[in-house]
Amino acid sequence: MTTYIIRRLLLMIPTLLGMTFMLFAVVRFAPGLTTSGGQVSGGIMQSRQAQKQEQQIMERRLHLVDKNGHPINLAMQYFLWLKSTCEGHLGTSLVYQEPVLTLIEQRLPVTLTINAIAMAVIYLVSLPGGLITALNQGRFIDKGYGFFSLALYSLPVIWLGSTLLGFFANPQYFNWFPSAGLHSTNTGNMTFFRYIADYLYHIVLPIVCSVYGGFAFLSKQIRGSILENLQQDYVRTARAKGLPESTVLVRHVFRNSLLNLITLTGMSLPGLLGGSVIIEQIFSINGMGRLAYTSTLSRDLPVIQDLALVGSVLTLLCYLAVDICYHLADPRVIYD
Amino acid sequence: MTDLTLSPMNQPVLPAPRPYWGWVAARLFRPLLVRLCAAYLAVLVIIALLVPLIANGQPYTCVVPAVAGHAAIREYPLFRDLSSVDLILLLVAGALAAQGVIMSRSRRLSGPQRLMRRRIGAVVITGITILAGSLIAALHSNRLDATNYRSLARHGVITHAVFPPVRWGFAEMEPLSKGLINQLPSRRHWLGTDGDGRDELSRLLWGARIAMGVGFVSQIIALAMGIVVGALTGYFGGIFDIILMRLVEMVESIPTFFLILTFVAVYGRHILDIMVIIGVTSWTGYARLLRAEFFRIRNLDYVLAAQGTGMPLWRVLFKHMLPNGVTPVLVSAGFGLAGAVTIEASLSYLGVGVQPPTASWGSMLNSAGNPATIFRWWQALGPGMLIFITVLAFNLFAESLRDAIDPTTMGRR
Repeated sequence: MTTYIIRRLLLMIPTLLGMTFMLFAVVRFAPGLTTSGGQVSGGIMQSRQAQKQEQQIMERRLHLVDKNGHPINLAMQYFLWLKSTCEGHLGTSLVYQEPVLTLIEQRLPVTLTINAIAMAVIYLVSLPGGLITALNQGRFIDKGYGFFSLALYSLPVIWLGSTLLGFFANPQYFNWFPSAGLHSTNTGNMTFFRYIADYLYHIVLPIVCSVYGGFAFLSKQIRGSILENLQQDYVRTARAKGLPESTVLVRHVFRNSLLNLITLTGMSLPGLLGGSVIIEQIFSINGMGRLAYTSTLSRDLPVIQDLALVGSVLTLLCYLAVDICYHLADPRVIYD
Repeated sequence: MTDLTLSPMNQPVLPAPRPYWGWVAARLFRPLLVRLCAAYLAVLVIIALLVPLIANGQPYTCVVPAVAGHAAIREYPLFRDLSSVDLILLLVAGALAAQGVIMSRSRRLSGPQRLMRRRIGAVVITGITILAGSLIAALHSNRLDATNYRSLARHGVITHAVFPPVRWGFAEMEPLSKGLINQLPSRRHWLGTDGDGRDELSRLLWGARIAMGVGFVSQIIALAMGIVVGALTGYFGGIFDIILMRLVEMVESIPTFFLILTFVAVYGRHILDIMVIIGVTSWTGYARLLRAEFFRIRNLDYVLAAQGTGMPLWRVLFKHMLPNGVTPVLVSAGFGLAGAVTIEASLSYLGVGVQPPTASWGSMLNSAGNPATIFRWWQALGPGMLIFITVLAFNLFAESLRDAIDPTTMGRR
């Protein structure tokens, strides 16, 4: 297993190198990003001089010029950027004037917590859903659930999110939920449980929006793997030796079907990270997704570049963790 | 239920022998729901192609009456002012219709003759379309006509005006002085107006063009990339496989929406940019699927036979292997279309998609008000429903296609 992990980590290196090169190329060939004081992407209100200054700062930050202002060639730019990234010095935001690493440290926990809760809710619904539909294969409840969850999957988050917000967090209609943020303003004098309750109250609508799309995919996968396991020989053996049907289902079939879930969970985490862009923007939550969005609007290239980088490193680590967990859960699986 | 298809003893009675795709189509369109989906999507495509003839502020034709010294003139304002994009899409609609006519007229012919007729028809029509399309793109100059023909017709300045069913262009605003912004549905505006006094119904119809255009063009780009990469890696294996699959992994490792935002931030928000961006971020799934299929079929007898006749490689790859390996990719493309429509709407909703005044369902949702203070739900209902039904139709269609081509479901239903 150790050899396997080491080999996997080594295999990640070319992928990571290629990906950094790709991100570098994408950002570096941006129109308007030239060293010859070309087009400047600043606000309209800025004076010419302020724009020029900002341009110089950006050129320095993106390693377009050296300390004396002389242009650096492309290969060297890439090398310098890679070097400082490997040393842990991610870029510095042009808008917030803070290191990207600080920004990510503030916002990653927010996004991860919400996604973890969302994942839990998705499982709570999809596991029984998948089990019930698999046991009633072809009957009305199976087809009905399948269609209903596909319809939920197709429901656009932007519509449901803005409609929920517009009806249930709006003085015009029902002002039941808070419309933005994760905490009330007076968190200072709250007890711990009050604080948690306040947090949960704030994330009701965002969680609703982030879970419903996942039901279809996950319950369908669970249904499939349960159906597959039901046809295995060990099920026939278990039934033949007189075990009650509930034991067969729960102890044998269900447990084996859960193995697939490890893969599914790991694979869907990156998607959640990307999906949080829309939800965090609708509900004004300061997480990774909103950071990516605001930096896109303000064309804050260092932040965008590093967010994509961090996102992909997280993804690759997720994939590795999936394989390791799979091995731990099912020692029969050997990678070679 | 016993699975009839797998037991050699009980071969199910197959329908009369017919070409594979005819067989798939017959199975695909059996359920009513699938037929409804297909009809809806077809209507949406027709609207997307012909929308300037459906929702426009200019009349098809009108007459400027005779005044002293001048004879009466018949004018065609709508056709005169079509933009080059409109003209090219009309051309595409014409080409599709012509191909449809050839397909149905040649149905009675014998096999080889039919194939010949259809192939020649397709080549001729494609040639004419490309030629005429590039002529239009090169020579046609768009003109802007801000004349308010509705008021002219009302005051009798023009007569015999024939207007399209929806009498408003997508960017036509009611004058501010009339105060006709954020109106509820009325006889003047059948679905009301938005915050700039523009007709909601007209914008919904024009939004179909953006949604369908981004969906189809981006997925065609993605399919082209995915098929080339998948075919090369699956057929050659070895060094090709190792290098190209690393590329696939690199693209996949970046969370899709982050990657799209990166591209959007860097390369701008023109509609063509959005199409290309969605295309180049969603091809990896197709490549993986086709690679797996090609691994499976590259050692089958008919491929070896094709190679043995000494035909060129591209012919083996794309004429013999591709038709046999492309079905899972097509199913996946159905889901991909749904995803592309969603992504375009989300980008436009966030304000980083197509730019105003272009009508997109996503930006219409956004302009339904800041949901936390003022929320005009009737403005959100139209675009929201349309995105929902379109995405659902694509998803249902793809799922039914998957069932239709899946031989293990042959005995069921």
